[in-house]
Amino acid sequence: MSEGKSKAPKADGSGRFLFPRGANYLAPVAGVGVVGGLLYVTTLFALGASPKTLAVGYQPIQPVPYSHALHAGKLGLDCRYCHTTVEKTAFANLPPTQTCMNCHSKIWDKSEKLKPVRDSWTSGEPVHWIKIHNLANYVYFNHSAHVNHGVGCVECHGRIDRMDVVSQQQPLSMGWCLDCHRVPETHLRPKDQVTNMGWQRPQGADPFVFGVDLRKQYKIHDYAYMTSCYTCHR
Amino acid sequence: MKENQHPAPGGSSYWRSLAHLSDGPDMRELIGKEFPGYDAEGMVNSSRRRFLKLMGASMALAGVTLSGCRRWPEEKLAPYSTNPRGRIPGVPEQYATAMELAGVAQPLLVTSYDGRPIKIEGNPSHLFSMTVKDKIGAADAFAQASVLEMYDPHRSQRFIDSRQQMKESSWPEFQAFAAKHFADLKTNSATLAILSEATASPSVWDMRRRLAAAFGQAKWYEYEPISWDAELEGSKLAFGKPVRNRLHLEKASRVVLLDADLLGMHPAHVRYAADWAERRRSADVGDMSRVYLAECGFSITGTVTDVRLPVNPSRLYALARAIATKLGVEGISGEEKLSDAETRFAEAAAMDLKSAGPNGVIAGGQALPPIGHALICAINEKIGAVGNTIVYHEDPTGDRPSHAKSIIDLADQIKAGTVNTLLVLGGNPAYDAPADLEFGKLLTQVAMTIRLGLYEDETSKLCRWHLPRAHYLESWGDGRAWDGTAGIIQPLILPLYGGKSVIELLAIIIGDKVTEGYDLVRRTWREQFLKGDDFERAIRRVIEAGVLEGSEFVTLQASVKPSQYPAAQTSEGMYVRFAPGSHTYDGRFANNGWLQETPDPLTKLVWDNAALIAKKDADAAGVTTGDLIHIDAPPGRSIEIPAYVMPGQPVGVITLPLGQGRTSAGPIGDGVGFDCYQLRSSQAPDVVAGAKIRAASGTYRLVATQDHHILDSIGVGGREKRVGGKGESGIIIREATLAEFKSDPNSVHGGPRKIELQLFEAPSDYTDTHAWAMSVDLNSCIGCNACALACQAENNIPIVGKIEAYNHREMNWIRIDRYFKGDADDPTIEVVHQPMMCQQCENAPCEQVCPVGATVHDSEGLNTMVYNRCIGTRYCSNNCPYKVRRFNYFDYHSKDPRSNWGTPWPFFPDSQQYNTVPKIEQMVFNPDVSLRMRGVMEKCTYCVQRIHRATIAKRGQGEDVTDGDIITACQQACPTQAIVFGDLNDPESKVSKLHKNQRSYGVLSEELNTRPRTKYLAKIRNPVEAGHEVKA
Repeated sequence: MSEGKSKAPKADGSGRFLFPRGANYLAPVAGVGVVGGLLYVTTLFALGASPKTLAVGYQPIQPVPYSHALHAGKLGLDCRYCHTTVEKTAFANLPPTQTCMNCHSKIWDKSEKLKPVRDSWTSGEPVHWIKIHNLANYVYFNHSAHVNHGVGCVECHGRIDRMDVVSQQQPLSMGWCLDCHRVPETHLRPKDQVTNMGWQRPQGADPFVFGVDLRKQYKIHDYAYMTSCYTCHR
Repeated sequence: MKENQHPAPGGSSYWRSLAHLSDGPDMRELIGKEFPGYDAEGMVNSSRRRFLKLMGASMALAGVTLSGCRRWPEEKLAPYSTNPRGRIPGVPEQYATAMELAGVAQPLLVTSYDGRPIKIEGNPSHLFSMTVKDKIGAADAFAQASVLEMYDPHRSQRFIDSRQQMKESSWPEFQAFAAKHFADLKTNSATLAILSEATASPSVWDMRRRLAAAFGQAKWYEYEPISWDAELEGSKLAFGKPVRNRLHLEKASRVVLLDADLLGMHPAHVRYAADWAERRRSADVGDMSRVYLAECGFSITGTVTDVRLPVNPSRLYALARAIATKLGVEGISGEEKLSDAETRFAEAAAMDLKSAGPNGVIAGGQALPPIGHALICAINEKIGAVGNTIVYHEDPTGDRPSHAKSIIDLADQIKAGTVNTLLVLGGNPAYDAPADLEFGKLLTQVAMTIRLGLYEDETSKLCRWHLPRAHYLESWGDGRAWDGTAGIIQPLILPLYGGKSVIELLAIIIGDKVTEGYDLVRRTWREQFLKGDDFERAIRRVIEAGVLEGSEFVTLQASVKPSQYPAAQTSEGMYVRFAPGSHTYDGRFANNGWLQETPDPLTKLVWDNAALIAKKDADAAGVTTGDLIHIDAPPGRSIEIPAYVMPGQPVGVITLPLGQGRTSAGPIGDGVGFDCYQLRSSQAPDVVAGAKIRAASGTYRLVATQDHHILDSIGVGGREKRVGGKGESGIIIREATLAEFKSDPNSVHGGPRKIELQLFEAPSDYTDTHAWAMSVDLNSCIGCNACALACQAENNIPIVGKIEAYNHREMNWIRIDRYFKGDADDPTIEVVHQPMMCQQCENAPCEQVCPVGATVHDSEGLNTMVYNRCIGTRYCSNNCPYKVRRFNYFDYHSKDPRSNWGTPWPFFPDSQQYNTVPKIEQMVFNPDVSLRMRGVMEKCTYCVQRIHRATIAKRGQGEDVTDGDIITACQQACPTQAIVFGDLNDPESKVSKLHKNQRSYGVLSEELNTRPRTKYLAKIRNPVEAGHEVKA
């Protein structure tokens, strides 16, 4: 190999590796940029793709502008008047059109807003509601197991009785479920208050201590069972 | 795609897909709106507060939806407009019905989700399917698999009119044709013939009577390729009229069977197996029945008898005569030479029958000629068994020529040209009629053939009209169990393909005013069974219970007419014995993938049948398992079929399982296996004498899920240690004889039990919750595969096809390991069946090696399998000593089992299963159980969905589950109650007591310290005691 010309910077200012002074900052800036970029992307996905972002606040427009604030809140209908199977089955059913027509065959029976309901009643076709609180198919959530053991509707669904249009209040992610499953005491209430959205613990009661009694009374499973995979997934 | 048309499994829509998420029209509409939550109408009259509220809501909505990102795709909920009365949609219901197979109704209880029947059980209130009265009813393998048959998209869906050119027709068009055609026929009724399957349905018989009234000279022929008519004909000889035998094996302490597969293919096998098991379980108290079986093959009953003698078919009658002579039955004439083994068998059997007296019974099978059956009736009478272990009933359905004769008569009539109109109701005579009749050709010779069939099969293709038949789950009907107990068959779903039932077709043909199945059945029952005043109430009760108590055939006290029982002639050459196939019965289930893939109990073959020959014969012909052979049988027929060397097969007998080799069964069944009907002639439909085998060129790959002798000597030695030699205890299989067990219960364990001191403490203390466990009684298991099929139906287990099965990738969570003890040419070889499923080990080897924690132990003792965490390393399966973990190498639900390759990837995994599985097939899935996709491991879960269903329901009412609330699918299906599930922490539970049983042991538990929750009860055999055998 012939003696090549040296590539080092020379006194006269020529040479391949003579960079402007600013190039001194290239490496650290690139390092910060990469690390920062990774942090940014991670944070973006963690926050942006987290159930708290994606699920909370989901408020689809329903085919009938049914207002829970009016029916459950102002009129005081119990949740179970419509969602009848919540104490017996895994799913909380939507009421059949017949339930609506119990009142609305006489009340507001000419309202435009209720036209889809009347059409459904006369034709026999269902009203296609949009599901708001949705879980993955591999999650076998059972309403009756919760409702029958002192978990109030408001714990997961929020103050439905104040919503004109129902929106999802809780992320319903596995982590969120586990928060309660690990320490259910703070989320328990007497069984007869399960559908009472406005229920408060007695003044001055410690949430945990109050729940300990209920947990024993309702024979809620121990920690190992509550956090076992098979309890919710099969 | 209107995704909400079908009731999706699970009550929620399945049709998620990322495509939907990113490109739905709703999506675009929402994106198009600037303020999605904006209600223009509401704005007009709203206050400022409301405006802000709306803005806030729409902002929130915009944040979630405008970006196109929502956690889940949009799903719709569509409740009923009016709820159906009396049930909650989405909650499973059970309805009683029955399935008629070969003329005998199997009582069933079918689980239905929103009008979709998905699981079949036995009816716990019906004598012929109950194993625990009013709690558990068992349904056999064919019944369990019949639900898949209903959803088969390849079932017949159309009416076909082939009078000129084949064209699709319709029911109204057929009705128009029939109205005219059969009106003309009323004056010319001698040219009308009806070929039907065997049926005891009162409604069909009623329609038959009306048909005879309308068409005076029409002839009704009944044909079944697999028939129990030898016994019927024998009873006609013995009593002068058709009589039905109903055995009471629970009362029998000594049973002698001559080729009677009572526990396997007999129409009453569920009841008989349950009764038989009662006298086997009693080994624990030192008393057990003894069963002698002389057979010309190797049947399920043969695997569990105490004394087995493989003989060729001609010897069965000789044995009957020998036994009868020793018992002093009159009329035996002619001398006959018996071999030493036969003599010993006959003497021991006779001695036992004599000492048992009324508690003994002898029964015969199809290979025994009618004269032999008559002789058996005489023997039973002699020992006093009649009225105790065997009860005679009238058989009103037996007043007919035998099936074999019937089809010959019809063929003769067609050949003579006297039949112009032939109605073929069910069956498949073009495929399964005796081959020398060439029934297919005969069908084309009849001017008008009308065929009612479940599939467009071999027969349909040759008939002028093909009408789709409604499946039994889709139609109203009725049936009678083996002893005649009547029940109503109710539909669980409207006919998916517009099919019609037999009675509905007959109603049209007769021109009956009543045409709907529902009304026809009601009419029959009003006239025949429920004649009283409160008919509505009475019939509703029958429909709900599935049975009408007290409706069995009238019992009779019959005595055998004195007759002669001369010696029979023997013939030269080999014998061929045709046997029902475990995969397809007589061919009708050929398109049922579940059954095709369930291993045959004896050969463990899947997706095939083979000629079973004894080792001696194989060696003589120079063939071994897998080699093709020609079988030549008189009269000049021949087939080519692979050989399978069957241990314990009688020398000189070839067993040919029927029902394969079909050409028009559907994509699953076509071309699978070999058509053995080709060798059947009308003169010898059950047994053919004078056959020969010779080697053909070539081999055929037979896939058996468990091989018997593909082991080197070290392997053979190892197997002997694990399974034990003949009559010995091993590590995996423990057994002893009754005499040994009575003298020392520890003999089943091969000696005093070792108590291993553990170095470490037990992993967990399960004392304050439920501790789920299972017990499997090897003494009761007959290897019938009902549990395997029940598990497949309950847990959405896919089939993999022959090629993948060859790669040992079959997916059944429970398999029945069948072990032979002895050599292939030892005629007294023993067999043990051991159902093997996940043992839910407390110290599970699989849990310790999963890198992602996808399999963890829960607090109640279940080894949980978390599909979501599984990444498919398969280390758990590697470590499992029982090899009960099944891995999804492909998306088997969407993969065509007949093809070689898996579904292509990388499409999005979600869409792979649900897009490509036809919707009709999706309807059979159990919504309570996750569908597994490619790449995850699965295994028995102790039916955790059933555990949860019972637990949540009970605890919701403030109680807790008790013993008997939770029944696993396998436990429910087992006719002998071999499988018991329950809570170990409940000292009163059945399973606790069984775990403390002296015979109880855990497989490999002491060797590997796995502490399985499933324990087995050692097998006890009751052979003739050494030294008490009667020598020649």
